[in-house]
Amino acid sequence: MMSVLAAEEINPLTPHPVEMIVGTIAFLILFFVLKRTVFPQFEKIYAERTDKIEGGLKRAEEAQEQAAALKKEYEEQLAGLRAEAARIRDDARAEGQQIKAELRAQAEEEAARIRARGEEQITAAREQAVRQLRGEVGGLSVQLAERLIGRSLADDASRSATVDTFLDELDGLTRRRETSGAS
Amino acid sequence: MTTLATAPPPSGGFNSPGVEDFNLPPIFGDITKPVLQLVLAALIIWAFFALSVRKPSLVPSKGQFLGESLHGLVRNSIARDNIGPEFLKFVPYLTTLFAFILVNNLFGIIPIIQFPTFSHPGMPYVLAIFTWLIFTWVGIKHHGFIGYLRISTWPPGVPGWVRFILTPIEFISNILLRPVTLSLRLFGNMFAGHLLLLVFILGGEYMLLHSETLLPKIISPIAFVLAIVFTFFEAFIQVVQAYVFVILTASYIGTVLADDH
Amino acid sequence: MLISGNLNVIGYGLAAIGPGIGVGIVFAAFINGVARQPEARGQLQGIAFIGMALSEALAILGLVLAFALQPIAG
Repeated sequence: MMSVLAAEEINPLTPHPVEMIVGTIAFLILFFVLKRTVFPQFEKIYAERTDKIEGGLKRAEEAQEQAAALKKEYEEQLAGLRAEAARIRDDARAEGQQIKAELRAQAEEEAARIRARGEEQITAAREQAVRQLRGEVGGLSVQLAERLIGRSLADDASRSATVDTFLDELDGLTRRRETSGAS
Repeated sequence: MTTLATAPPPSGGFNSPGVEDFNLPPIFGDITKPVLQLVLAALIIWAFFALSVRKPSLVPSKGQFLGESLHGLVRNSIARDNIGPEFLKFVPYLTTLFAFILVNNLFGIIPIIQFPTFSHPGMPYVLAIFTWLIFTWVGIKHHGFIGYLRISTWPPGVPGWVRFILTPIEFISNILLRPVTLSLRLFGNMFAGHLLLLVFILGGEYMLLHSETLLPKIISPIAFVLAIVFTFFEAFIQVVQAYVFVILTASYIGTVLADDH
Repeated sequence: MLISGNLNVIGYGLAAIGPGIGVGIVFAAFINGVARQPEARGQLQGIAFIGMALSEALAILGLVLAFALQPIAG
């Protein structure tokens, strides 16, 4: 391996022309082939990838914005609903009160009516009683008086006059009692 | 060769591997192993990228993911960070450059091939010249010829008398030396790394097979273990050198594109 | 004991001292920076490698000159 044939030293710094020529050609061909076919593909892929990633980010942002808008809308709706519910409740309360008031008014009216009718009936009954009593009291008084006096008061005119005065007295008596009882 | 003590090397002793080991015999005609490697590297890279974009999709397959990460590394962490807003124009060149250098460097530790192509300096020179042409052209197109010279050699805020020294230095280092150091760095690292592995492997082999005493035979495995360790180290260096070549190219383009600072 | 070899390589050894220190400083600063601000790692990495490459260039020039400055036969 130690080829002693290299008596004349070849300086290691001396280039070999064949190498230079072949190497240059090989390098240049490689360069142009790669530049034409391979590297544009890489750049295209990088561009596409960047595009895709950026597109994805953009889409995500959009989705987020959309979600935020939706949320806001929902919140607004919710607030509206709450207000409406409050309104409805208020309405219901008012209506309820109104109904209550109406019912009470009706009830009072009814009660008044019933009382009035009762009073009417009472009055009617009393008047009837008074009328009856007036008839009977007249008869009884006359009988009583006949028995006491012993004579018949045949004279109708005097008879009725006597009864009337008596009854008037009686009436005045009861009215006085009524007013004193009502006061 | 200057020798410290003039004596013929002891015949039969260990001949350390050296420069001669980089002169490979031609396979046929003028075609040597590195020439084939250059073509092979181009084919491998083409196949790799072609497979990775065979069925392009947004959710990458494994092959596409590999191709994309290589392209994305150059595109995002080298080109975009160093060039600025106009970086997209330069990504194809930078990616091809990175892949080409990386594969050719890794040939140094791939079994059977095991020869870093760029330990021959021809191709590094060519690549550095490409880079130089690109950043010079970009600079002149962007600032005009005078503007390009000014941005390269006329740092602002320097007192007048310093310029007598500084401007020539800047001219040499920014315009002349950039391609030189770029290519020689790549070449030097590959050359030295390969030589390092040769020393360990050939030295270990010599100790194991050709030494007359027992001790070297016993300690020879250490040499092989170190050779393996340095192979991993070389793998790292080879990746870093490809990265450095490309990041420096990007940074040169970035400096000539930058507006007055 | 005979020592044979090329004197240029000693020159290269000397030339590698400075860049070695320089690369060490660059990465020390890088590690410091990342320890203080881990989020700046990506940016610092590029700068660190550029710094390493620039200081390493000197060592590489030394290596190259070791080969380039061969005496003319004799």
